[in-house]
Amino acid sequence: MTSLTAYIIRRLILLVLVILGVTVLIFAITMMFPPEIRAYMYIRNAEQARPGVIEQVILIHGLNDPFYVQYGRWMSQVFQGNLGWSYTSTQTVVAAISGRWVFTFEIVMFAAPIIIFVGIYLGVQSAIHRNGLIDHICRLASIIGWSLPSFWLGLILISVFSGQLHWVTIGPLSSGYIDFIADGISSHTWTAYTGIHVFDGLLNLHPEITLDAIRHCILPVCVIVAIDVALLIRVMRSSMLEALNKAYIITAKAKGLSKNVVIYKHARRNALIPVATLSGMLVAGLLGGLVITETVFAFGGLGSWAARAALSTDIPAVLGYAILSAVIFVISNLIVDILYAYIDPRIRLE
Amino acid sequence: MSVRQKLEELKVSMRPRFKEWKFMFKRIRENPLALAGLVIIIFFAVLGALAPVLAPPPAGSINAFKIPKDLEINVLTPNPTPPTWKHIFGTTDQQYDLYYACIWGTLTAFRTGLTVVGISLIVGLLVGTIAAYYGGLLDEVLMRFTDIIIAFPGLILAMALVIAFPAKIPINLSMLFVVVAALLSFLLLMLRPSKRLLLAVQAVLILSLLSIFYYPLVWDLTLSRLDKVLISITLVGWPGYTRVIRGEVLRVKNEDYVEASRASGSTDFGIIMKHVWPNTVYPILIVATLDIGSIVLSAAALSFLGIGAEPDFADWGQIIQRSRAWLSRPEQLIPNLHTFLIPGIFITTFVMGWNLLGDALRDVLDPTLRRR
Repeated sequence: MTSLTAYIIRRLILLVLVILGVTVLIFAITMMFPPEIRAYMYIRNAEQARPGVIEQVILIHGLNDPFYVQYGRWMSQVFQGNLGWSYTSTQTVVAAISGRWVFTFEIVMFAAPIIIFVGIYLGVQSAIHRNGLIDHICRLASIIGWSLPSFWLGLILISVFSGQLHWVTIGPLSSGYIDFIADGISSHTWTAYTGIHVFDGLLNLHPEITLDAIRHCILPVCVIVAIDVALLIRVMRSSMLEALNKAYIITAKAKGLSKNVVIYKHARRNALIPVATLSGMLVAGLLGGLVITETVFAFGGLGSWAARAALSTDIPAVLGYAILSAVIFVISNLIVDILYAYIDPRIRLE
Repeated sequence: MSVRQKLEELKVSMRPRFKEWKFMFKRIRENPLALAGLVIIIFFAVLGALAPVLAPPPAGSINAFKIPKDLEINVLTPNPTPPTWKHIFGTTDQQYDLYYACIWGTLTAFRTGLTVVGISLIVGLLVGTIAAYYGGLLDEVLMRFTDIIIAFPGLILAMALVIAFPAKIPINLSMLFVVVAALLSFLLLMLRPSKRLLLAVQAVLILSLLSIFYYPLVWDLTLSRLDKVLISITLVGWPGYTRVIRGEVLRVKNEDYVEASRASGSTDFGIIMKHVWPNTVYPILIVATLDIGSIVLSAAALSFLGIGAEPDFADWGQIIQRSRAWLSRPEQLIPNLHTFLIPGIFITTFVMGWNLLGDALRDVLDPTLRRR
């Protein structure tokens, strides 16, 4: 266990280094922009964002100083929890991120388990029936899903289920409920315990809001599952095929174990290791924002916010988002590595 | 030794490789999915090659990728029109010919996929091989750098780069100098030259780095919007290739035949060209084939977000983006559906062709799975 602790400490140091590298790189890119735009990286409230005040911000923070001086000052700001002012959403970057990640989380919460379980199940089935009917159908379906442009699929679903059939509207909630919640918050009859509508609906004893939120998640979840499950099926399938060809499977069969025990206890458990990595990366990628899906379905999560920010050169927002995704990415890497040691006791972390 | 003898010798030495290729093509022919993928790609390649015949650009057009407008209909209505004999796929809003856009869009798609994958592969091969082969501090630094880029959210980084990239890049003499000197020093490093030569090249490199701000302008490189998209996707994508190639080179470099070659006095360059790269080619081929599809999709996604090629450029993603407005109006959806469905089908089929081929190649080429 001590080796594991040492490993985690070593990785944490490396993690800090990578995140520092990310910040140096993006800060260097921002230096291409004039100080008037970069000043937003230091602004804390709406008062400072007014036109006349920005010159003062430039002076106070010395935005004409050399690169390393500015970088040091900016990092000390970041450690104080100030990521600057996002002028596309007219609030601080920290506030914007904390207000939006719940919408991303709402989709990921449903999509990730579906992707992982369906992917593992179908991958195992395709491997067992290699070159059989199930295998071919799974492969073809997953390749088609993987080849679809996500915005195209999303727009088709919207035009059919929202435009023609009027089953759902786009966005995270029906407009009636959005007003209801806004009224509820101002009159203290609604408490935003988590900010996630699915949970808040239950906690505030309004199950109809929970149902509505789930209904609005169905289409975006469909798009993400259709596109991302393909990768998991492929990896699971090839990993399972490899495991089924190992000598210990022949041994297990030879000593008369039932087919199910051989497949699910011996082969699948060993085949899960690469899938664990991939699932970790996949969930981290999803949590970092679903740029296209959120934009298509007007979900207002992290991804669509960052996309809008990038389109209108809202530098503080893009910077904050990049730092956040780098942190998510590196931490998920670490978690996957540690999980490895538990799934496969042979792996020694050094 | 006569030429004929040499040729004979080459034939003998290449025989196992030919046999391997034959085996590979046999496997591809036997695999229906691989064959389907190959057929789709060949179909699109023919479509692209015959584009000037199938959809001749109107007389007097300067850029064939600009979609022609039908001004006669444009006088009557701004809305899309359904397929007719004159416009067999119909027209989009403002009467851009959809058939022309789809045919020439094929060339754009090939250009997007092949350029990005090609450049990423070259960079990945150079950086990945050097990192893995020489190892040590250099490896650590290069890999941490790729870590940093991979830790970024790809699409957002690409978007930021497209926005931040200036349309004109001034190229000056010292920039070219730096590039040439850097390439030279890489080559020399591999060829194991005398130390003095290496020092001289590095001196040139450092001098040109120092002089970067003082050299005169050579020419302004003007980038189209599509160029910016391609450059941005490449800048985001190369670390992935570098990692794959580094892994493969690491696997090969400790094999016995590499040891043997080194013991018999081969240079590093010779070993890399003759043993390392040929033995890493299949996994890289699979990754590259599978990636072409996703790059075309990324470019389409950028078009969807409004930062793709010019609005009248023949690009599938751009056409889908144009037709988006009709989807939100239920009563307009059915009559205008073709403007949305047709380019979508083109893009999906194209990407599917590459994915089918790449997926099947993985099965065909994977040495642990194939001979059973």
